[in-house]
Amino acid sequence: MSVTLPETTGSDRLAGGVSPPVDRMSFDHEPTGGLTPPARQEFDGQTLLARLLSDQQQLTAVEQFARQHDDGALPAQSRYYKSLIPASPPGPGQQFAFEVDLDRCSGCKACVTACHSLNGLDQGETWRDVGMLIGGTTELPVLQHVTTACHHCIEPGCMSACPVDAYEKDPVTGIVKHLDDQCFGCQYCILACPYEVPKYHSGLGIVRKCDMCSDRLAHGEAPACVQACPHEAIAIRIVNLSQVIEDSEANVFLPAAPDPQITLPTTTYKSSKVFPRNLLPVDFHSVSTQHPHWPLIVMLVLTQFSVGSFLVGLGLERLLSAELVSAIRPLHSLSALAFGLLALAASTLHLGRPQYAWRAVIGLRHSWLSREIVVFGAFAGAAILYAAGSWFGFESVGLGPILHDAVGWSVGAFGLCGVFCSVMIYAFTQRAFWSFPLTATRFALTTMLLGIAATWVTLLALAVINNGPVTRLLIRRGDLVCEGLMIVTVTKLAFEALIFRHLLRKQTTPLKRSALLMTGPLVRWTQARFALGLIGGLLMPAILRTLIGDVAPSSPSMLATSAALFVACLAGELLERYLFFAAVAAPRMPGTLRG
Amino acid sequence: MSSTETVIGENIQSGADTPHSKGWLRAFDGPLTRDLLLSPGGFGLGRVPSKDKPDATTTSVCGYCSTGCSLNLHLKDGEAISLSPNTNYPVNLGMACPKGWEALTVLDAPDRATTPLLRDAGGKLQPVDWDTALKTFVARMQGIQSRHGPESVAFISTGQMPTEEMALLGSLAKFGMGIKHGDGNTRQCMATAVVAYKQSFGFDAPPYTYADFEESDTIVLVGSNLCLAHPIMWERVMRNKNKPEIIVVDPRRTETAMAATLHLPLAPKSDMDLFYGIARILIERGWIDREFIDAHTNGFAEFAEFVQPFTLDRVVTATGLSADTIERFATLIHAGKRVSFWWTMGVNQSYQGVRTAQALINLALMTGNIGKPGTGANSITGQCNAMGSRLFSNTTGLLGGHDFANADHRAKVAGILGIDEARIPREASWAYHEILEGVLKGKIHGLWIICTNPAHSWINQRLCHDILDRVEFLVVQDMYHSTETAQRAHLVLPAAGWAEKDGTFINSERRFGVLKKVRRAPGQALSDFSIFRLIADAWGCGKMFDRWDSPESAFQILKQLSAGQPCDITGIENYRMIEERGGIQWPFAKGAGSGASGEQERRLFADGRFYHPDGRAKFLFEAPRPMPEPASAKYPFVLLTGRGSASQWHTQTRTSKSEVLRKLYPQHLYVEINPTDARSLGVRPNDTVSVESQRGRVVAQAFVTPSVLIGQVYIPMHEANANQLTDAVFDPYSKQPNYKSCAVRVTRVGA
Repeated sequence: MSVTLPETTGSDRLAGGVSPPVDRMSFDHEPTGGLTPPARQEFDGQTLLARLLSDQQQLTAVEQFARQHDDGALPAQSRYYKSLIPASPPGPGQQFAFEVDLDRCSGCKACVTACHSLNGLDQGETWRDVGMLIGGTTELPVLQHVTTACHHCIEPGCMSACPVDAYEKDPVTGIVKHLDDQCFGCQYCILACPYEVPKYHSGLGIVRKCDMCSDRLAHGEAPACVQACPHEAIAIRIVNLSQVIEDSEANVFLPAAPDPQITLPTTTYKSSKVFPRNLLPVDFHSVSTQHPHWPLIVMLVLTQFSVGSFLVGLGLERLLSAELVSAIRPLHSLSALAFGLLALAASTLHLGRPQYAWRAVIGLRHSWLSREIVVFGAFAGAAILYAAGSWFGFESVGLGPILHDAVGWSVGAFGLCGVFCSVMIYAFTQRAFWSFPLTATRFALTTMLLGIAATWVTLLALAVINNGPVTRLLIRRGDLVCEGLMIVTVTKLAFEALIFRHLLRKQTTPLKRSALLMTGPLVRWTQARFALGLIGGLLMPAILRTLIGDVAPSSPSMLATSAALFVACLAGELLERYLFFAAVAAPRMPGTLRG
Repeated sequence: MSSTETVIGENIQSGADTPHSKGWLRAFDGPLTRDLLLSPGGFGLGRVPSKDKPDATTTSVCGYCSTGCSLNLHLKDGEAISLSPNTNYPVNLGMACPKGWEALTVLDAPDRATTPLLRDAGGKLQPVDWDTALKTFVARMQGIQSRHGPESVAFISTGQMPTEEMALLGSLAKFGMGIKHGDGNTRQCMATAVVAYKQSFGFDAPPYTYADFEESDTIVLVGSNLCLAHPIMWERVMRNKNKPEIIVVDPRRTETAMAATLHLPLAPKSDMDLFYGIARILIERGWIDREFIDAHTNGFAEFAEFVQPFTLDRVVTATGLSADTIERFATLIHAGKRVSFWWTMGVNQSYQGVRTAQALINLALMTGNIGKPGTGANSITGQCNAMGSRLFSNTTGLLGGHDFANADHRAKVAGILGIDEARIPREASWAYHEILEGVLKGKIHGLWIICTNPAHSWINQRLCHDILDRVEFLVVQDMYHSTETAQRAHLVLPAAGWAEKDGTFINSERRFGVLKKVRRAPGQALSDFSIFRLIADAWGCGKMFDRWDSPESAFQILKQLSAGQPCDITGIENYRMIEERGGIQWPFAKGAGSGASGEQERRLFADGRFYHPDGRAKFLFEAPRPMPEPASAKYPFVLLTGRGSASQWHTQTRTSKSEVLRKLYPQHLYVEINPTDARSLGVRPNDTVSVESQRGRVVAQAFVTPSVLIGQVYIPMHEANANQLTDAVFDPYSKQPNYKSCAVRVTRVGA
């Protein structure tokens, strides 16, 4: 096959100047002794150089090898892949799925590059991966390469998680497709997929993923990976949904792969080999830190700070006189609100395309992220109302005093619901470190801890600006606030330290991986977290307890200690949340050798 | 769900509603969606990204390995914008490995050499114009020659350049510049096969065609991890419909060994013992082709006598294999109707590679497994044009598979080139290591290195660096100014790369394929062909190469040189004919082209006639020698080296430039070590370990795997420092370095 040109073009177009003609010999005659151009001797070094440099920039392959091409035929490659794609669409209760013949996967990874190339992905962007399993004995070692892409799950985690409905599962083919223009880049799907399938494209601010080359399949062509596998290891087959569900019971998806029950992946891995029981991914022993998501860290800590402030404030009000309530409430609610709004602002920084933040409501019916955003939105609204009422009197915002408390409690309720949604966002991913009990305990304790710390700061601030009743309250009951903070701190730090018990386990469980990360690559973060926690939540309140009554609230020692308490508590919680993200062990398909 | 929302499956009936379809709230189209839109590419390509839709296509053979795959280059305004493998080519049948898929990407690297670079007084490489570069080249090289004699300048070339460029370089250097010594990096990969074939068959003639992979019923692979090193040849094995027995002889459990029906994990460098032992069994049981042996070979009786001492017990002891396994190997060779023997670097890169290769050739000869479909003693080549280098580099052999020592050959070549016969040296060049030793001995002062990277790839690297640093004037001609060797040069000449120039490659199965200029070289970079012409001109011997006006006119000269040789290609009219026939295997003499001589897939020796004057092949053999540096108490492990992955090529000057390829292999040096050894050394998976030989020390990540045997470790060759460990020992016949066995010790860092 030569250069092929469409029939409609041809020499006219070429003459139009694909590249300027050059003085090279024609193909139609053999060179003879008289080949040397007669003017040849004129070339001294300089002009020969100039001519060669100019020649180098001329592209002449089209002219030399141009041939007419008969368009409209089936792609040439179809003769090899015809048997690797279904001849008809799936019926009811069926869908398309990848089938990988492990006996034929030799680890060449042509599929990865073909997918990259034939789908026009950006530099370095890949939608398919090839990992490796090893095991067996020295007498009979086993190694197995595994090619993997999106599993087009029956219950796609990405799709349920997506707050903007940027995913859809095709009702006929079952292909899980991502709507690139709908995506606003929250990346929650990346956390929700057990197989690391959706890939974030930071340049575009969105996620992109494998769509089984649905456009190719719709036109009778094979997906890029199927076309390109030299060994015909990848095929598209029709699977019965009920069979996939049944198979997931026995967990025979692939050795060392995430539990198929989470999302019901449809890919079939077949092999004639009996794999040894010690077959493990080559990256099994690698523990690598995960992306920390700083905007989420700030958002989570500050929303919990805000909710905690409101809740502790509301609780405190039950015990206080009306005079004290009206003294404390305006400042306390305002500061709680300020941190809450800061948190929501921070969360938008996480979005690849924040201008579409409003789309977050679309997925309310199924996405915990949607719910979190909506509930915290309601929380912010109620909190603004409540704070405004506290400052200007509820009458001024059109509410009677009876509703005063009702709004307050609704702020607390929305806040708690919001925190609950936050917990569910992470619990939904089914990562062990983010399980519901662990995450709920963690977030609840942060809410309490920062709520108490914030309350102390409010009380002290009011005392400093010489509010008599508050000063008396601080002197009389301040030690209780300190003690409360100390108890919550000890509880929380002890709870967090429980992770280290997993270091004793022989098996490298996900929780042991988290502990290994916290004591390995992340050990400085871990040390800082516990140091700040002890300083802010134990040492400083202990000092304050001794200072109360002895010194005036506005004394430098009181102010400095309180500032240290607040900053250390907040920073400690931020670090705790950093570790929450960075030290999580994400489930994944077998990978390649890493450090 | 409305039909407009169904993005896929227009021709498929829509089914049930999706659980959450809110069409009006969802953006099904837009710039981001359109960014990944596909549309029919035309030209038989199938759908391609709309943004990369070609307006023409052409094909070119790939420029990495010797498989010689054909790639469809998708052109826009004459320039290649992307590529896909060529379906209609008898080599790769529409497939490519990752290197091929990414072949265009690596051309855009920021470290491309775009202008000549000259080392200034301060020792820094500074850009200069071509004129200055050429004048400096000539002045320095001629200065050295006038002080130390013409032989004091040498060149080291490559198996990566088109044949026409190699031939021009070899002719320019030896006939024009009076250089006597030049060698290629093919010394590191193919020299052993060359010598083995020459001695056994009378000419360097790999006899096979890739169809033999599909037609064998028994495939023996020795020291060859086809799955990673030649994935597209493995494709051909996978397409074998005969359910073949696949026998892999390799100390490691490689991917290929995993896929084998019988794996023989023998002790390193015990191959000769094994094959002699097998020969003994075959003879003893009468499992030989007496008729073929008598009619077409010499030396069998001596060979039969020689193998007598290689008893099963002896072979068991030498190889560490069980008697059953060895017997089974012999039985399978006997049972096979079409047995093919294939070898790669595990055999070639050895201190006794030639005799090991010949031990395999002997097995093929004695069982009559040669010249028939699915048979052969077949060397799988390394580089894309190693075969071109073997025939036309004018280094060890005179142009066109001729002999420098043969007066008739010299006269023939001189006549065709129109040069004074006295300009042709009467003996072959020094081999690669002799040239480097020449530097140490004060005999070589000027060195011109073209398209290869010895500072990374040469054995015993520290010594190599020391030698390169002693060269008075070191010129490196390369695509990239960043190679370890270019960084040591006094002068760097910027070369155009694959896809930026024209020419032909000859693949493993003797197939000529055309490569084409479909990209503009960056800056002032020039094709090696043009650089050689400029140097000829500046040197003052330009007239001698007037007829070498373009790669294709050079090809016509090569045709003439091949006339009457086993590699006769006088029947190939031009590049277009090669293109239209899906590549052309040599021989293709004038008048060939119809009937058997014109078939697309041809093998040699169907008539049983070999290239020795008497037409007979020779049995050649020699007693195996012990490993030059066996494991010892101080260095208790045998170090094996080799390929890391299908995404890496040799010293990675190109493959490391693709972000996608970089994702496909580990980013740091690792060492494979058996779990038993790891336990006894206190090494856990991923620990950092030190690997140390008498010559150097590297730090690597421990990859604990049972795929290496106890007492052995394996390090891929692609990281720059791997060759600090290797031991510079050479095969006495082929002068090929012994990369695959030396003694090392392993310790845990921090232990």
